[in-house]
Amino acid sequence: MENDKPLILIHSQMKYLSDTSSEGVNIMLTPQFYTIKRESLPVQYAYQAKRIAPSLFEGLLENTQDYTYFVQKEEDDWLFIAYDIEKIKSFLISKGLALTNISKMYFAEQSAAQFKAPVLLGDNNALVNLNSTMTVIPKKVLQADEKPMKIDKSFTPKKGLALEGRSKALIGNTETYTLATILVLFSVIYFVEGSRYGGEDAEQEAQMQLLLEDYPSLQSSYKRESIASKYKVIDKKERKKRDVIKSLSHMIFKGSTLTSLVLDDKSFQANFACKDAKTSKKLKDLAKKEKFNISQIHKSHDVKIEGKL
Amino acid sequence: MTQQLKAYKNEIIVILAFLLLLIALVYKQGKTSTVNSAESTATSSLQELKEVIALKKVWGDKKITKKVEKLQKIVSPSKIKWNRKGKKLTATFTSLSSQEFNRLIVKIMNLAVELQKLDVRKTGTSYHVELKCKW
Repeated sequence: MENDKPLILIHSQMKYLSDTSSEGVNIMLTPQFYTIKRESLPVQYAYQAKRIAPSLFEGLLENTQDYTYFVQKEEDDWLFIAYDIEKIKSFLISKGLALTNISKMYFAEQSAAQFKAPVLLGDNNALVNLNSTMTVIPKKVLQADEKPMKIDKSFTPKKGLALEGRSKALIGNTETYTLATILVLFSVIYFVEGSRYGGEDAEQEAQMQLLLEDYPSLQSSYKRESIASKYKVIDKKERKKRDVIKSLSHMIFKGSTLTSLVLDDKSFQANFACKDAKTSKKLKDLAKKEKFNISQIHKSHDVKIEGKL
Repeated sequence: MTQQLKAYKNEIIVILAFLLLLIALVYKQGKTSTVNSAESTATSSLQELKEVIALKKVWGDKKITKKVEKLQKIVSPSKIKWNRKGKKLTATFTSLSSQEFNRLIVKIMNLAVELQKLDVRKTGTSYHVELKCKW
């Protein structure tokens, strides 16, 4: 909670702060760092008041462009505060206050009602509430019976300002957390996806184990290779022979008769008797499709088909 | 945390989150490629095993002798000359009708034996078949 952090009063005579809370601090600026104006304006919202703020300070400030404006609605008036943030930042740094360590910045004016007694600012000045306006006066003008007080956390107003660019960060807090959340979310997705991988592998492994249990003689990969190489040769050769027989059987049709077939390990030779030239041609076409060697038997329509296995 | 580090808190958070993402990505990619390669090895091993089993079932069939013996039942014994020695067969089928011839050829084609010789001759309307095979 911002209001729980220590509140440091910032004034020009303040000492160098060597030790500030690492949890962060809030700062309250004295009028030495800002200019105020109270105006009764017929505006309803702060953003409307803020829009007209620069024109209110014309003539009061040297260069209104260097200033930033803070507005707050009071009972009857609008409180306008003009401040030079760069000057404030430089001052804070010169006093050992790291901008990154500052949570919120407030103006003494916001807590004017709580300044019931003077607050000493160094050895020479005091901050007092004069007719509801915070003012820095010389200490010596204070009346003798006036007992100075110190400010604490209870002086922290509700509305504060975050120091824009208080760190050298290129990315804002919101963007940082959004981006980090997205990146972490994707990381989680990738981790989960990665860890889920491998299910199929286990399934295949189980299937393999099951098959090996049924065929224990195939446990050894050498044995598997030896069996495979032995049977693959036979399988290829025998399939070829059967394919040839099947192809030749398709060449038996009306007018074409198989008269002989000799098939061994290396080759085959088949003779077909054809009733006429048309049948012979059809047969030769079929044989050509199968890329068999064809020869016409002399003085007949018969066809000899042969090939290597 | 030093002030310097604190100043770049946001960038550090984003860099750390990005690093986490990179690690997760590398982890996923690593796991994917490892698993893919393991899967492809497992797939090829499984495929190879299935193929060996299938080949063994066909060409190493222990009941093949019985199946070969059944060739004798296709035609009447008078048309057959049967000579089987262990896992080698020499058989002659004579005077086969077209139907008998077709049945015999289909049976022979479906037998997982190594055909050493198949000699078919047609004389008139009958077929003469000589078969030499081993298993």
